[in-house]
Amino acid sequence: MALLELRSVSKRFGGLQALANVSLELEQGTIASLIGPNGAGKTTLFNTLTGLYRPDQGEIRFQERSLVGLKPEKITAAGISRTFQNIRLFAHMTVLDNVLVGMHTRLRTSLPAIFLSSPHFKRQEQEARCRALELIELAGLKGRENEWAHRLSYGEQRRLEIARALAAAPEILLLDEPTAGMNSREAQSLMALFRELIGQHVKAILLIEHNMRVVMGISHRVHVLDYGEKIAEGCPDEVRRNPRVIEAYLGQGTWMENAQS
Amino acid sequence: MKRSLAGLALCLYVAVSCTLAHFFPQSVLAFLLVEAGLFLLYYVPAPRRLKISLGALLLLVLFPVLGWGNGYYLEVAIQIGIFVALALGLNIVVGFVGLLNLGFVAFYAIGAYLWAIFGSPQANAFIGGNFFPLSPNWFFVFLVFSIVVGALTGVLLGLPVMRLRGDYLAIVTLGFAEVVRALVNNLDKPINLTNGPRGISPITKPPLFFRPLLEFFGADVSDAKLYPLYFYFLILFLVGVIIWVTRQLENSRVGRAWKAIREDEIAAAAMGVPVVRMKLLAFAVGASFAAAVGVLFAAKQVFINPESFTFMESIGVLAMVILGGMGSIPGAVLGATGVTILNLQLLKGLSIWLNGLRQSGAILSIPLLGSYPLAQLPVQFEPAKYERMVFGLILIVMMIFRPQGVLPPGGAQRK
Amino acid sequence: MDLALEILPQVILDGIVLGFMYALIALGYTMVYGVLEFINFAHSEIFVLGSFVGVEVFLMLQSAGYLSAMHPALVLTLVIVSGMVISGLAAMALERIAYRPLLGGPRLVALISAIGASFFLQDGLRLFESLWRNTFYLNYPTLDFLERTVPLTENLVIPVKSMLVIVMALITLAGLHFFVNRTRLGMAIRAVAQDPDTASLMGVAVNRVIALTFFVGGALGGLAGVLFGIHYSLVNPYTGFIPGMKAFTAAVLGGIGNIPGAMVGGMMLGLLEAFAASYLSILTDGAFGAEYKDVVAFLVLILILIFRPKGLLGETVRESKA
Repeated sequence: MALLELRSVSKRFGGLQALANVSLELEQGTIASLIGPNGAGKTTLFNTLTGLYRPDQGEIRFQERSLVGLKPEKITAAGISRTFQNIRLFAHMTVLDNVLVGMHTRLRTSLPAIFLSSPHFKRQEQEARCRALELIELAGLKGRENEWAHRLSYGEQRRLEIARALAAAPEILLLDEPTAGMNSREAQSLMALFRELIGQHVKAILLIEHNMRVVMGISHRVHVLDYGEKIAEGCPDEVRRNPRVIEAYLGQGTWMENAQS
Repeated sequence: MKRSLAGLALCLYVAVSCTLAHFFPQSVLAFLLVEAGLFLLYYVPAPRRLKISLGALLLLVLFPVLGWGNGYYLEVAIQIGIFVALALGLNIVVGFVGLLNLGFVAFYAIGAYLWAIFGSPQANAFIGGNFFPLSPNWFFVFLVFSIVVGALTGVLLGLPVMRLRGDYLAIVTLGFAEVVRALVNNLDKPINLTNGPRGISPITKPPLFFRPLLEFFGADVSDAKLYPLYFYFLILFLVGVIIWVTRQLENSRVGRAWKAIREDEIAAAAMGVPVVRMKLLAFAVGASFAAAVGVLFAAKQVFINPESFTFMESIGVLAMVILGGMGSIPGAVLGATGVTILNLQLLKGLSIWLNGLRQSGAILSIPLLGSYPLAQLPVQFEPAKYERMVFGLILIVMMIFRPQGVLPPGGAQRK
Repeated sequence: MDLALEILPQVILDGIVLGFMYALIALGYTMVYGVLEFINFAHSEIFVLGSFVGVEVFLMLQSAGYLSAMHPALVLTLVIVSGMVISGLAAMALERIAYRPLLGGPRLVALISAIGASFFLQDGLRLFESLWRNTFYLNYPTLDFLERTVPLTENLVIPVKSMLVIVMALITLAGLHFFVNRTRLGMAIRAVAQDPDTASLMGVAVNRVIALTFFVGGALGGLAGVLFGIHYSLVNPYTGFIPGMKAFTAAVLGGIGNIPGAMVGGMMLGLLEAFAASYLSILTDGAFGAEYKDVVAFLVLILILIFRPKGLLGETVRESKA
């Protein structure tokens, strides 16, 4: 049984069919990529998956239950966490606080305990801080925890977003264009991070990516969307050679060059 | 070395300013110096133990002693305390969560009227028998009760406005407060709940349970001397509790969730923050602070009417939060102190000074424009009445030049 | 119930007069919202400013002795035009000083500034009048011509004052319709309301158009202020808040940003209020009377914003970038 299953998910906005009968499976221990031309519906799929939108049709199953109709916070509590295409950090909060917010669902203290500053509460906050600092170090931001998020560089902000998403201790991590705007060295180090995550922190990762080097280099499986439909699926080599995929990308020249490197 | 020097300087400052205030009881400046001492204590780097002891000394001993000799000081201090509490409550909703509540005064009114109705003969008008006013001991019960009532009302207001966006939310809260005020103003028929525009009095004050102790020590125990001190300590205690609760919440997942919602609601939800619940909690907590202070206000004033709870008061508290710095506890305290002093002392002082000028018969000569006998200054021009102008100016100027306030949160971040 | 029916025509007439006044004020809110997506909270003070300008012109004419000598139409024209122009200019100044520096940032910052401006202007008017006339409660002098009434039927008497309001409102609304839909400037305003970036790319001077919109909206508010003053006679700096809130309700009711919507909303609210004032005590057996008419407007506001913020005729939704 796959960790995450999407079956025939469809979503329409007015006259636009953003997703049409998309099915997808995510296996435990794998990194999968979701690719496709701009406007294909990739981010819409993420938004539907995480509860921002409700699918018009279809089913989403995770851990034996349906995620359809659940609010975003419930889905995060269930174990799916994400980053955003246009970085959505909490700008006027520190790096540490950003990560700590990610832990919201894992910190269960009652209001009275907070008001009375109970030992349990204090201990939880201590442990949360420690965990957060570990994640900050994992994301390569060691020592920056007291800076405000908006002061970080672009690449650092992307990594902070990942640390924040990891704070929720998710089983599945959804990353929306994590290497966008990065040079190849930064992208490589992120790829190494992803591999490390699969081993120790999360059970599966689903990436939206445009950087084909990353896609080919790290994915166990690649899914291709075009105009809201899934047009191909397979291991990276298969997909690269798929004529429908090539056709969808026709005119987006760099794809061919990247794929051959 | 530097810190101990600073500590010594602080001690000297406190001693000097208090002595000045003692010998010049009419001086606004001396009073301001004493109060500024509190802020210096907060910000000047000095040994922590010393600062805390000095602060406690100032608030618990020196100030009451000054007030014993000069009742006006205590009155101002109590007013400041009330507005500090209100500003702290609004700071949670506006500062932490970023929800512009323009009708905050409604919660204050509800708390005040809660005690006013049952702590005075008013309730006899609609509940048969002669059970009211309740005995003074009930004051404390109602203080706690108002917290619950305030929280419930906060949730009630919060529920329908949850999904509204910023400016619409602001207007709806404004409408809510106006509806509350209209109700309070008009619910003297068909049943007389609030006595309408005539207001309610006399309202029972809290019991002087420590009076026997003082009598034992032979102190002057007249009501007039004792009650101002009593209210001073009550409000000090209340403000202390409010600051404690706010700080605890701020440094927990609740406070972080609130700020996250302010920064980016969608991202917050994606990170697992239950947005609706957190917003309602913010409304509830803020409202409960206001309601509790309302009870105290009613007991202190002995008489309340709808005029104390207008839109202007809501904007006044908003101006305090904005001036001090949204989302910052010391900011809210500073803002409330600053604006209250501005209104109570500076503007009033200006009024008195102008009155003096008017009566002195002096003539003001402006070169090229001729002379202007100051006795002719219009009686209507009474600076103490221009609170709106002050509030309005504060809001505009702060928004344009320093929207983060005088003491923004995380002030040390200015790298 | 005979009484109820008897007063009905008068109630409707009152509602219409009130409705036109609210519509004129509401247009100010809706036009500014249309181009900036911003609630000009201080518009209620622009409205009151109009009343004050009107009364000052009246009083100046009176003290100069011209009032009785001049033809009422001339007096009225003078009063109305000065009210409109000065209010319009004040609105432009307001935009330039208190709003333009802030409108690029978070929306709430500008709203707070607008609230501050509203308060500042209230006391500013008070200050001015206190220094100028030693009082800030002013009365419009009566013109005989305006005091007359015209009986339409046995139950229905229409004061000339009310006719003035209706006539002026109709003229102005027709003029506005022509301006917005048939002139180049009007088209520029509509373009900026739809999509300021594209409009600017097409050569529209967006800042000037915004200033113009404030002027027009302010002038309409000023007109409403003068008519209000003539109709109710007493003006003070604080009487703007409640009618302003009601007019804003009307604008939202009709669909904020939507010009015909403001007219529809204004009319509906005016009628609702007139009905509430006259019939509430009858309906509730004396329990709740006319003093609750303001509450009715606020309740409408709250309910609309919660349940149908788009309003009746729909918000003109700005084209969002894909």
